[in-house]
Amino acid sequence: MSVFMDLNVVYSADRSSLRTVIETAAHLGFSAVAINYVFEPTSKKKQEIPTPVKINELIDQLPVVQGRSRPIRVLNRLTVVMSDSSHFRPNAAEYRCFDLLAVQPTSEKLFHAACMLYDVDIICISVTEKLPFFFKRAPINGAIDRGVVFEVSYSAAIRDSTMRRYTITNATCLMESCKGKNVILSSAAEKALELRGPYDVTNLGLLFGLSDGDAKEAVSSTCRAVLLHAETRKTASGIIYTTNSQQEAPGQQEALQEPADCEAPAAKRAKAT
Amino acid sequence: MKPAEKEEESVYKRVVLKNASPYQYMKICLVLEDESTRLSAVELKLFIISGLRNLYGEVGAALNFDLLKYDEDTLTAFLRVTSRGLVKLWSSLTLLGSYQNQACAFRVLQVSSFLLSLTGNSRDLQLD
Amino acid sequence: MSVDVSPTPQSLLVCDRSSFLDQKNRLNSQVEQLRFNYKVSLLLPECGSAPSHLDSVLNSFSSFCVIRNLPIYELLDRHFLESAVYHGSVYGLSYGTRMDEDNCVALMPNGRLSLSLDKDSYELLGLQGKPSRFNHRTRIRFVVSIDLTDSNMAPGGQGYLRLLTGLKSRLQLQTDFLLSHHPGGIPSLQPLLSRFEWSEHKPKVVHRSLTDLACPVLTSDQWSCDPHSFLEWLGAVDADISSENSSSTFLSSWVCPEPQRPVSQALSVSVCGLLLPQDLHRLTQALRGYLEQPRLESWASMTVHGFVDSVVSWGENEHRVHRGGHNFYTLLMFHNHMYHLHLASEAKDSCPP
Repeated sequence: MSVFMDLNVVYSADRSSLRTVIETAAHLGFSAVAINYVFEPTSKKKQEIPTPVKINELIDQLPVVQGRSRPIRVLNRLTVVMSDSSHFRPNAAEYRCFDLLAVQPTSEKLFHAACMLYDVDIICISVTEKLPFFFKRAPINGAIDRGVVFEVSYSAAIRDSTMRRYTITNATCLMESCKGKNVILSSAAEKALELRGPYDVTNLGLLFGLSDGDAKEAVSSTCRAVLLHAETRKTASGIIYTTNSQQEAPGQQEALQEPADCEAPAAKRAKAT
Repeated sequence: MKPAEKEEESVYKRVVLKNASPYQYMKICLVLEDESTRLSAVELKLFIISGLRNLYGEVGAALNFDLLKYDEDTLTAFLRVTSRGLVKLWSSLTLLGSYQNQACAFRVLQVSSFLLSLTGNSRDLQLD
Repeated sequence: MSVDVSPTPQSLLVCDRSSFLDQKNRLNSQVEQLRFNYKVSLLLPECGSAPSHLDSVLNSFSSFCVIRNLPIYELLDRHFLESAVYHGSVYGLSYGTRMDEDNCVALMPNGRLSLSLDKDSYELLGLQGKPSRFNHRTRIRFVVSIDLTDSNMAPGGQGYLRLLTGLKSRLQLQTDFLLSHHPGGIPSLQPLLSRFEWSEHKPKVVHRSLTDLACPVLTSDQWSCDPHSFLEWLGAVDADISSENSSSTFLSSWVCPEPQRPVSQALSVSVCGLLLPQDLHRLTQALRGYLEQPRLESWASMTVHGFVDSVVSWGENEHRVHRGGHNFYTLLMFHNHMYHLHLASEAKDSCPP
């Protein structure tokens, strides 16, 4: 198993509340969290893709992970809610500011495209409505082969009992098609009290139809795979990595390249197992 | 059958019990938005039962669990539940998000098949 | 689309009954196999204060030390190997690391260095190991186990140099480390300690007097009380849970197992820290001495909890933490030299000896 992560805490303009969420996550034993910027384009007018706030501007001193001596790792993530295929713009420069890229397709056609084609890390499964389509095996297997993961978030299920029903229905539907592979569980929490500990989330995974082992991987090893997938997305075939040397301190650069040194077969890294 | 008879003569006996523990034990702590709110033991138990009913209906509300110990000042409690009921009880604790219209969360501090483990957890070791 | 939400959580409990007088009793070997012990707690019924010889054993547990940010390759230091590892037994365990998440290290009394590493670290180290028995879908955790007393691992040897460069220039593993030595104690560890920030700790002893306890009737000749009920009762005593509220069963239906009898007073003593099996052995002997004197109750119990995040559980078997990772044993001793030993661990973990 790898360290526990919660790859979805919702960005809010209220910095102190966001800081409390991150502190609580560290206290609950999460070693990494991703701040999620949700971008929902409407068809009519053109909207700006949000730019992430730098982590060091957001929080001076990162809180220490419970029981450990290292600080929590904080990442930025963009989720594009798509109702039309034009909403996802491959190679958009704005996407590059984020560590993780996710899409939330709202129709079967878009879901298919997201699974098979889009260069993203995470596909979000809606938990606030009953899905208007069924999960088909083919696109799901396609996504699994490409190393893209599906995300189910649980905080809506804490907020509201109708949402809870949708969460459980949609999650169990997904698990039947994907057999528990490539699933991550995250909070999508807006407040600290909506976060739950990693072992709680693992237990909740059983409710969604995951096995004991898959449920624990959904908050640990699979999340690690997502991070590796995101890193390879920024590289050419997982081999060459370009970075703006003026912005990055030499120490940071080294840290980023380190994992690439250790694994020889580059082709395998895309799957990031 | 000879070796077995021999064992009976000597005092040595060994029994292996696999997955036989009848109960599971949980150490939990309730965190409330308004930290001055106090709950009595009965209120806490009723609150947990309401969570079970919300998620699993009347069958869930009928799930038998015991509030072994409760500290009103820290809102920390020890629960005992039959092994088959653990996932149900735990998930309904996880999904409980509000107490009397204020946000709350149950922090599950430890879960074990043995009550003894709850007082002997090496992760609590603090050395400075 | 139905989901089974009532799988039985797994546990493993081994119950042994034997006598100290039996030549073939395996108590010592069984107890020695749990190497990294965190806490021992005693329960002495009908006892007001511990007799002096017991007290002196409880207060003479070996000290241990914690070193902050120890680079693991320092354990291969020639002077340290010579003064501590080759002579006597070293007990070392990474501290503040979790078996289901982080890299964990254990240095065992037989001179084995055991590393439980995640995939990235394992590949960086570049030494042969085995995939963990508990990997689920993917091989994400590996165990590297090295015998430091092997001739190949002598300072300057080929294997030694490979391990040293692996830990020094490639993996650069650093962690807080608990360390103890038998029989030399802290002085034998000086070659290592002198170069780092460290602090010495004495295992902490806590006495608790209990009065008016309901206590199950325990006899030596059979399992007079079901092992799970007995351990539950012990846990309840340890956690200070009362069964007084039996008048209203709404809150809790837990009661002391039948048949029971009231005990007017009892003493509960616990010791916390990195405890050596040798000290626990001395404690067992002291308890036997204690039981030889005539008393109202003819038994005493001793529970020893292992470290949850130890790399090994029983012997050299790999340890796993899924939910709790508990491993402990309870020794119930009787006046007539009989004993009941209960060894518990999380299932899928290896079976206790």
